[in-house]
Amino acid sequence: MQTACQAVQHQRGRRQYNKLRNLLKDARHDCILFANEFQQHCYLPREGGEPMEKWQTRSIYNAAVWYYHHCQDRMPVVMVTEDEEAIQQYGSETEGVFVISFKNYLDNFWPDLKAAHELCDSILQSRREKESENQESHGKEYPEHLPAEVLEAGVKSGCYVQGILNVNKHRAQIEAFVRLQGASCKDSGRVVGILQKNWRDYVVTFPSKEEVQSQGKNAQKVLVTPWDYRIPKIRISTQQAGALQDFRVVVRIDSWESTSVYPNGHFVRVLGRIGDLEGEIATILVENSISVVPFSEAQMCEMPVNSPEKPWKVSPEEEKRRKDLRKTHLVFSIDPKGCEDVDDALSVRTLHNGNLELGVHIADVTHFVAPNSYIDVEARTRATTYYLADRRYDMLPPVLSADLCSLLGGVDRYAVSVMWELNKTSYEIKQVWYGRTIIRSAYKLFYEAAQELLDGNFSILDEIPEFKDLDEKSRQARLEELVWAIGKLTNIARHIRAQRDGCGALELEGVEVRVELDERKNIHDLIPRQPLEVHETVAECMILANHWVAKKIWESFPHQALLRQHPPPHQEFFAELRECAKAKGFDIDTRSNKTLADSLDKADDPNDPIVNKLLRSMATQAMSNALYFSTGSCAEEDFHHYGLALDKYTHFTSPIRRYSDMIVHRLLMAAISKDRKEEIKENLLSNKDLEELCRHINNRNRAAQHSQKQSTELFQCMYFKDKDPDTEARCIADGVIYSIRTNGVLVFIPRFGIKGAAYLKNKDGLVISCGLDSRSEWKPGSLQRCQNKITSTPTGGDPVTFHLFDHVTVRISVQALRCHSDTIRLEIISNKPYKMSSTELCRQSSLLLKSELVKEVTRSVEEAQLAQEIKGKVIEEEYQEYCQSKGGSLYTLLEKIRDLALLDVSNNYGI
Amino acid sequence: MAGLELLSDQGYRVDGRRAGELRKIQARMGVFAQADGSAYIEQGNTKALAVVYGPHEIRGSRSRALPDRALVNCQYSSATFSTGERKRRPHGDRKSCEMGLQLRQTFEAAILTQLHPRSQIDIYVQVLQADGGTYAACVNAATLAVMDAGIPMRDFVCACSAGFVDSTALADLSHVEEAAGGPQLALALLPASGQIALLEMDARLHEDHLEQVLETAARAARDVHTVLDRVVRQHVREAAILLGD
Repeated sequence: MQTACQAVQHQRGRRQYNKLRNLLKDARHDCILFANEFQQHCYLPREGGEPMEKWQTRSIYNAAVWYYHHCQDRMPVVMVTEDEEAIQQYGSETEGVFVISFKNYLDNFWPDLKAAHELCDSILQSRREKESENQESHGKEYPEHLPAEVLEAGVKSGCYVQGILNVNKHRAQIEAFVRLQGASCKDSGRVVGILQKNWRDYVVTFPSKEEVQSQGKNAQKVLVTPWDYRIPKIRISTQQAGALQDFRVVVRIDSWESTSVYPNGHFVRVLGRIGDLEGEIATILVENSISVVPFSEAQMCEMPVNSPEKPWKVSPEEEKRRKDLRKTHLVFSIDPKGCEDVDDALSVRTLHNGNLELGVHIADVTHFVAPNSYIDVEARTRATTYYLADRRYDMLPPVLSADLCSLLGGVDRYAVSVMWELNKTSYEIKQVWYGRTIIRSAYKLFYEAAQELLDGNFSILDEIPEFKDLDEKSRQARLEELVWAIGKLTNIARHIRAQRDGCGALELEGVEVRVELDERKNIHDLIPRQPLEVHETVAECMILANHWVAKKIWESFPHQALLRQHPPPHQEFFAELRECAKAKGFDIDTRSNKTLADSLDKADDPNDPIVNKLLRSMATQAMSNALYFSTGSCAEEDFHHYGLALDKYTHFTSPIRRYSDMIVHRLLMAAISKDRKEEIKENLLSNKDLEELCRHINNRNRAAQHSQKQSTELFQCMYFKDKDPDTEARCIADGVIYSIRTNGVLVFIPRFGIKGAAYLKNKDGLVISCGLDSRSEWKPGSLQRCQNKITSTPTGGDPVTFHLFDHVTVRISVQALRCHSDTIRLEIISNKPYKMSSTELCRQSSLLLKSELVKEVTRSVEEAQLAQEIKGKVIEEEYQEYCQSKGGSLYTLLEKIRDLALLDVSNNYGI
Repeated sequence: MAGLELLSDQGYRVDGRRAGELRKIQARMGVFAQADGSAYIEQGNTKALAVVYGPHEIRGSRSRALPDRALVNCQYSSATFSTGERKRRPHGDRKSCEMGLQLRQTFEAAILTQLHPRSQIDIYVQVLQADGGTYAACVNAATLAVMDAGIPMRDFVCACSAGFVDSTALADLSHVEEAAGGPQLALALLPASGQIALLEMDARLHEDHLEQVLETAARAARDVHTVLDRVVRQHVREAAILLGD
């Protein structure tokens, strides 16, 4: 109702109004705004002297009555209001139009929706509290912030500076920075007001029983501890505190009075038990604001059907419109083993004039997903497929992602293709063609098989299902054809790669960059990829396709194309890298991407391959993240992609798992029809909308990365949790020191891929000392930190020195925390490398262990669940006790962290 | 609250119109007996009165007479009570001079002036209430008045304003929309031939959007034409009945 909307706008301000507008816009909520003031029969002029609110209520009621009659009195209409007078006045005026309060509405119409009831109760309660609190006048804890108008005027006139507050994750209570907008640098300042709050849903833990008792008389209000260290405790009024003790719970902050040390909030819903795998994963999702409800019926209705009874077929109209490559081209896909969502396929052939034709074929997702359909809206909200350590949340429903859009072997599929005509010897690109096609992929290869074929090793043939049922002769012929294609492809890729290398493309270690390059964000990623050449070949073809598509859409739509940029990094971020490398005697030149790439290649210690790996990952961390942007809002010089050394780049090749690719597909289609002078059917996003969307996608990608990392950490913790660090051999491992801090070192454990801090000085002020057998002990003493080494001098003992890149033996244990995620703790137990007969073996299969780890944790969780079902309450009680005994408060924990003053660089490169 | 929402998500403007819709137009011809031609128009809340004298001999200095065509003399004024703020506007202030010149240009293009050499046509326009689009209302009123005076014209001159908000072009801006400060364009069109008699814009607008805004204004001007045409026919019918008696 328009009147209601306007009321929100006037009374609650722009922020609330925008929120409401976004809710309305979202097609999933099935909401419609009725512009009643513009409707002939609903409009009521405001009478003289009538208060605004009265008139609004009257208008809304009038519109409701009209709507009721408009539906021929068949549908009862409910008007929800909190205004008692209105309920009295209109409640029984018209039959079929009910005017009731919200509470009443819930009770009458949705008696089963328990969650909604609880939510309503907690909101009402917190509101009552607020009212009663307003009447009492407390002494103020904080000086009041300035009102919004004063702030806005102040910022405009330059007497206040606007900035963004970032709180340090590791020292949340004492350290935060403000990033200023505008260059002028101020030494010190004071926060005078908040322009925009970035509140979201928070996961919290209720205090355990003892703590509740100690809080005493004020039993209704409970202080809960958020999962995120950076958020202060939140005050909640609820009666359910006892029942919610062992659960992770979602709350929302309502207000923060200047009279209170803590913000007020209300309880929203329960996620799961503390320490439970599902609960913890749900926690990670909520903390990253990821919502992955199953696809709704309305969304699924839009999907095409492909069932055994009703198989999906290529439609004749599409067949006419598309280029048919089914007969003419040998198309095949190369993916990780067991991959379901195949969104890219390749082809190569010789043309009649002797030139080569290279083709990259991408699943045509936008054919199935119309702009602004329910599925499209959902995909836009998700923006990407989320890969956690043990599962994934798809962006598109499985009927598309794993079936109709997946370029599986031997079936007809729609595709969007980019095809280049190359000179047969110099591989120079002569012509390029973009368009929609129909393809039938002949082979669905996996990387290892393709590599074997490339190497001329044909024993792998039995593992390729397409070759199984062929007789010897045709098999031989087809094999030759395929091997030729792969070989040719590899040659082309090598050539393009060399060109790009000439411009200074970087090859960096670390999952992030890998993911960017070839878009395999699968769980398979945790398995260390043997650096096969085929990987690079496929990646190179994808980069080529992305690059050319980026050029095309930019030329057609210079103001509204979605590209991806990677800004060059700040030189000062490389300082640490240079220092570390110097310690090992390497010189890293970071002046340009080319020199960096070259010097990284040279910095290789033959005795220790991990050194180079670490250096590369440090270089990665020094760089800024690549981002999507709209070309209309950025100067052309800034389009450059630093890591890939390309002037224009976008994402085009994975529409199944990235929404940005879908946008790029639509842009490309529009560009093609523009070339043909056809009318552009679809409404393209304007620069402003696209910019907004880019921000959203970037944001979601960051959330996806964080959630992936956090879930991996969760699994690591769960893995080590049930192992006794003193007895279990697997908890002791070899680590490499990669950074020095004032009171400890940062250690990388190649075997598990864990990075973490190990302290040389513990809470009691004792320092580490190593005896003759190089076993470590805690002794009183002092620490001395130099540029690239740290020396611990125990009183009455020999000093121990740790250098950068030294190998040490560490013990891994888990620090269990009640209110937050568990953390891995590392302890140096010896300053000598960890010796084990099978060390080498272990290292080889290092990350393989990681995927095993995931499996093992999942299994043990399942077992635990089974056991729990059998034993029932007994375990629960034990569990409670166990938890309580550990109930370490946030404060002790924060104190610990403050004492230790150690930062893990791997976590704060985003700052 | 910064900035009014000129175009809601549902596509409604502040006064409930869609982007391309005009305000209600009401017009009457022959409102004054002593003038040769006169007309009164209401476009929403914008109200304008136009009076035409001529063609007649040149008044004042004879030297102004043109040997080959008629002189078109336009004067614009607005009533003290026409705007929200009551203010005396003396004749000959900058705004009315400019408006007079624009009107003159417009009508020199539309009136077949070469039929009346060495003579003068006076067009006086007064705005009674200004609620956006005053130029357009003046032109439309003057067109009707010129017709009422029986002066031969190439075609109707229909004018309409258009603005640009949130990458959408809005037709026939109201005062609220004008005051928001977006670009505004005024277009006077000869609808039959599609020729432009006057195009005026004094704000910055990206050239990519110009076509869209122009298109909207032209369509609106054609809509104005349909309304004016109906008014003229109605007037002629009434006049014929009176004469017949």
